[in-house]
Amino acid sequence: MEVSDLLLDRALAIGARSVAVVGTGKNVGKTVVMRAIYRAAIARGMQVGLTSIGRDGEANDFVDAVAKPRLRLAAGTLVAGALGALPRSPALEWCEATEVQSASGALCIVRVRTESELELVGAPTASGLRGSVEALFAHGAEFVAIDGAIDRIAALREEDAVIVSCGAAASASIEAIAGEVRALVALLALPRGDRSIDAVRIEGALTPMRAAELIASGEKRPIVVRDATRVTLRGRALLGALERLSLRVEHPLRPIAVTVNSVGRAGCVEPKALLQAVHAAVKLPTFDLFAASAA
Amino acid sequence: MIAPELLDRTSALAIGEDWLLAQLAPRSPYGARDGRIRRRFFPGEEREASDQSNRIARIAEGLDRETMERAHATIARLPDIAPVLARVTVGDSLDDAQSLALLRFADGALELQRMLSSCDELPDCAGDELETLRDMLERGRVGSHAFYLHDSFDEELRAERERFDEARARFESARGRLERGVAAALGRGARVDEEFIVMREALVGALPPGVRVIREAPTYLLCEIDLDEETRALLERREDFARKVALAEERVRAALARRVAALGDALARVAEALGEIDAAIAAALWSRRFSCRPAELVHDGEVEVVEGRWPPLQERLEAVGGAFVPSTIAWNGAAIVTGPNMGGKSVALRTIGFIMLCAAMGLPVPAQRARFALPPMIRWLGIGPEEERRGDLLSSFAGEAVRLRDAFAVLSPRCLLLIDEFARTTTPRESFAILVASLHAARERGAATIAATHLSGVAAAAGARHFAVRGLRGIPTARSGEDIGRVLAALADCMDYRIEELSEDRHRSSDALALAGLLGVDEEIVERARAIVKGLAE
Repeated sequence: MEVSDLLLDRALAIGARSVAVVGTGKNVGKTVVMRAIYRAAIARGMQVGLTSIGRDGEANDFVDAVAKPRLRLAAGTLVAGALGALPRSPALEWCEATEVQSASGALCIVRVRTESELELVGAPTASGLRGSVEALFAHGAEFVAIDGAIDRIAALREEDAVIVSCGAAASASIEAIAGEVRALVALLALPRGDRSIDAVRIEGALTPMRAAELIASGEKRPIVVRDATRVTLRGRALLGALERLSLRVEHPLRPIAVTVNSVGRAGCVEPKALLQAVHAAVKLPTFDLFAASAA
Repeated sequence: MIAPELLDRTSALAIGEDWLLAQLAPRSPYGARDGRIRRRFFPGEEREASDQSNRIARIAEGLDRETMERAHATIARLPDIAPVLARVTVGDSLDDAQSLALLRFADGALELQRMLSSCDELPDCAGDELETLRDMLERGRVGSHAFYLHDSFDEELRAERERFDEARARFESARGRLERGVAAALGRGARVDEEFIVMREALVGALPPGVRVIREAPTYLLCEIDLDEETRALLERREDFARKVALAEERVRAALARRVAALGDALARVAEALGEIDAAIAAALWSRRFSCRPAELVHDGEVEVVEGRWPPLQERLEAVGGAFVPSTIAWNGAAIVTGPNMGGKSVALRTIGFIMLCAAMGLPVPAQRARFALPPMIRWLGIGPEEERRGDLLSSFAGEAVRLRDAFAVLSPRCLLLIDEFARTTTPRESFAILVASLHAARERGAATIAATHLSGVAAAAGARHFAVRGLRGIPTARSGEDIGRVLAALADCMDYRIEELSEDRHRSSDALALAGLLGVDEEIVERARAIVKGLAE
């Protein structure tokens, strides 16, 4: 079975109708992962909708001008994209111009009529993204794939299956890549708080300073925040806090898999070692789409 | 002299103009561009104001609420075609998103016309040109509301797309053959991705043909499919036909744009009619909700309001299950409203001001019956909400004096002065004197003045009609520490807010001591105050 099918199956197995791909950095393979899942869903005859958090999918990365994977879409694919970034030709079927605005114009729902490549510029805000996903479902999408931006988890919801991408583009060594992705997965996988248990509920954000205070006071009760976006600790600081505090969320997310990309701009790492190290760190199914391997 | 504004900011806040404008807010850009909601009618325009308010009343009567709400929702969903019309007018082409907007506009406007066909008071928002627009775009309709630049728009477009499809199929076939060949050679699945890794340890011999190495790493090779000459030629052929399709599509768009431009004037008239409908339905919905009726606009100084209401408060009361008690007041020249604290004197003033504002906006008014002259100016004199909120640099009295000065500087016949406990912060004797003098002066200028006060004898001294809030029907009992909301609710139950005219200028209690006790002021203080009042009376 293809790696792309395995990823799609994992999403469908938990009952998700949408999958979001987030990454530890730029050029770690998010678009490649989304493209693979998209193709697997198309191959199964599913009506697929695509969107992204902000700008993605253009030929060159808008931020660092590195060549990006192309996004060639099959006829019938639904897209939620910014008006100014959608091509004039080949003509698209225009379904709806939504109220959601982006720097490239209103978010529109279109259906691809002729197989073509296009730039995916989605809603820049969390609410805009959710509105886009709902609109895609309303226009007939059975499954929606969301191309995420770097660490943009605010737009994710419990109903999404989340795939985390990491790779050599974001960190220099296998250890560093594994450490980073472990922290991000730990953040995304924070469990739901038990309402019947006495807990410290934090209305705003759990900042490093607040976490340090709680650790210093020997807090043993669960610390409950609204969702993972309310935890501002990252990397080692987050992992350290998780060892000492029992962090919980009201709205958990569902990370289902991790993908690795051993190829980076500056250098490469050994693909098999990366796959194994990341799998050991995150304890989630881990895939290498480039090498067509899994751990 | 420059004519004064109908309302200054303090007066507008005091009588609820912002609330009214929010109620009448249009739902569409067409309504927002319509000037009707901002229009004010001044003396000399009585007929126009009456015509408009009668028309709104007829719309409110002629259409049921559900129809009006559906119509408003339909207007709200209409895309704004003004930018599209502007572009095609200067010879620009259409894009497909704009064609979708035009199609939805035509659908929506025609649906609206059907919905409102029973009402003669609203302008026609359809017409042959709109049908023409819809027919023109109909070929592109997909499902109920989507748009696609379909082959049927143009035979040449159809032909170019067929040629492109054939070229694409041939390229895909050739590329697929290469991908499957490489996948088979590498022992992968059905096909390889655009970029893929080949582990050196798994490679026996050379890479299979048709594979290009992008990057060499110590343990693996990053590769992609290398198109052969035949496939590259097919790719170029496909791209050539793609360019021809793009040109054909642009020709169709340009032709559509020219046809839309030819309908430009008619579509602009439809857009204008939609703005009028939006504004009129907002007004009619509001009028219906608050049972409004057109006021009778006269030219004399008589003001008569029967069962008048102040909707901003009515809405709040009804939201918590309460009911607004309407007030009936009629006077010519000057009138006084007295009564207990919290009995609704200020609300009575706001009611009069609000009703006159509605009439000046060409709206039916929230009253059973109303008769008065259109006011050239309405002024609230008293501590207004604006001063109360921001804390004016001037003292309370100085602020009121300045407002009195400013109002009299532009006071003319038929102006409405609403004087709410004017000069309450100075001595009662001087406050009395200023109020009586102001009432005389305003009447001499022909203004209609109504003042709320606790001072005795003002009506007699000013020769004004005297109205009074009936007041408390017994004092409710409150337990110590009781929630203020409950206390106020109990108080409201015991308060008779009805206003009656007093034939003589007799003094009535303000119930202030009873209210102070009820609101939790120390019992000892209240009892001492009662003793002092009793002593003064004796």
